[in-house]
Amino acid sequence: MSVDSQVDTQDADLQLIDALARGELRIAARLITRIESGDSSVASILSKLHARGGNTTVLGVTGPPGAGKSTLVDRLLQQFRHRGQRVAVLAVDPSSPFSGGAILGDRIRMNQHSADEGVFIRSMAARGRLGGLAVAAGDALQVLDAMGWDLIVVETVGVGQSEIDILRHAHTVVIVQTPASGDAVQSVKAGLLEVGDIFVVNKADTAGADRMQSNLREATAFRADPHDPACWLPPVLKTQATYGSGIDAVIEAIDAHTHHRLTHPARWAQRLRAQMRVLLLEQLIDLQRRRTVEDPAHQQRFERALDEVLARRCDPHTAARKLLDASE
Amino acid sequence: MSQSPMPQSKIRCLLGMLGTDVHSKGIRTLAQLLRDRGVEVIYLGEHNTARGMINATIAEDADLVGLSFSTATYLHYTRDLMEQMRAAGLGDVPVMLGGLIHADDEPALREMGVRGIFGPGSTMDQIVAFLQSATGKTLPSGISASGA
Ligand SMILES: Nc1nc2c(ncn2[C@@H]2O[C@H](COP(=O)(O)OP(=O)(O)OP(=O)(O)O)[C@@H](O)[C@H]2O)c(=O)[nH]1
Ligand SMILES: [Mg+2]
Repeated sequence: MSVDSQVDTQDADLQLIDALARGELRIAARLITRIESGDSSVASILSKLHARGGNTTVLGVTGPPGAGKSTLVDRLLQQFRHRGQRVAVLAVDPSSPFSGGAILGDRIRMNQHSADEGVFIRSMAARGRLGGLAVAAGDALQVLDAMGWDLIVVETVGVGQSEIDILRHAHTVVIVQTPASGDAVQSVKAGLLEVGDIFVVNKADTAGADRMQSNLREATAFRADPHDPACWLPPVLKTQATYGSGIDAVIEAIDAHTHHRLTHPARWAQRLRAQMRVLLLEQLIDLQRRRTVEDPAHQQRFERALDEVLARRCDPHTAARKLLDASE
Repeated sequence: MSQSPMPQSKIRCLLGMLGTDVHSKGIRTLAQLLRDRGVEVIYLGEHNTARGMINATIAEDADLVGLSFSTATYLHYTRDLMEQMRAAGLGDVPVMLGGLIHADDEPALREMGVRGIFGPGSTMDQIVAFLQSATGKTLPSGISASGA
């Protein structure tokens, strides 16, 4: 790259960041598209966004398919708008593993906000990229963060690991379940019991809501620490998102969690460090995988190593070490 | 893994109905068929306003907009949307229409700037061919050119 074109890139990046800060929606939307499609030319801008980022509170909402996440988000948006907050929503849906296509349907449930300038909703498909979803969603969140929204909400379907990984970008995590989810400990995906800050039993108008609520209370009781009276105990709430009941309590819980975070900075710093640690590790693994497996220059070496392992002339552990050394 | 490691530029298509039209079965089926061809469908359902569609087109960075009609009011709604899209600087985003569109109305719709018209009897292959030519993007091949 010549010095001139470096200067051009710098200028272009700064102009882009200015445009984001001014709230130019089309520019933001196009940048997110570039991120989604894996365009590597976004690297320099993302690096600048990171340097200035981390300003907007991110609320994560997850749960099984059809639990009522979008309907709940729609209700929460109503309340946030009521108190004058401007909100961006990132709605992540899985892609079809067969065609790579997707039906992104979260917006319909939030249609009442479709003409509201204070709400920005962007859908994103998983695109079946290994581990890439959480990274791409995290990058898209950086773009939204740079736009100066008062709050960012990210909705994901809690079915896979990468969806759970997205929650590492959130300050507050809401886990949505329904009475139909069955046994709490088994239905709440492993790991979610640990990361949830607020649990919601939605569709409380259907049978079994009380039982689900008490199951979840039991299942999260391990989070109480007798040596640490100030630790956050996730509340378990009931809602009927379609009818708008129970929403006030969810808002209160979100506020209380934010307050807890701000009044316990050391604890929050610890959690942030743990979240960032995993994100950095993921990036490292992603990079290494691309280097050793997907880069054509190294593919041959990888295939040869695979031959050696299959012929039992080399064990997988040693072969991996050699590949790693060779990719330096 | 069989998936390609290369970055992919998907076709992102907004699908929805304007006004009071409520016969969403056709458009839901179309959404599923397009997904099966590798399209990312942003599904807006029924009862949309032109303003809402335009905001969604911008936020979703949609490559094109598809509308479905089952009532005779489509000329009015389409003209309104096309005008508002142009005013919002979205005149370059292709618009296609499906549903109960009369052949007699096609010239008027084309005049308004509608790029694709798929009345009764249109095939998936025609729609898919239009999507690709209108967006300049290609869909993954090998997925059910015969199916659907
Ligand atoms: N009975 C009842 N139905 C509800 C409630 N909340 C949502 N639903 C319905 O549940 C269905 C799914 O709602 P969504 O909000 O789309 O659920 P979701 O979790 O966002 O779904 P995905 O994003 O597809 O995973 C819709 O038909 C809603 O009307 C509720 O409190 N009670
Ligand atoms: Mg949803």
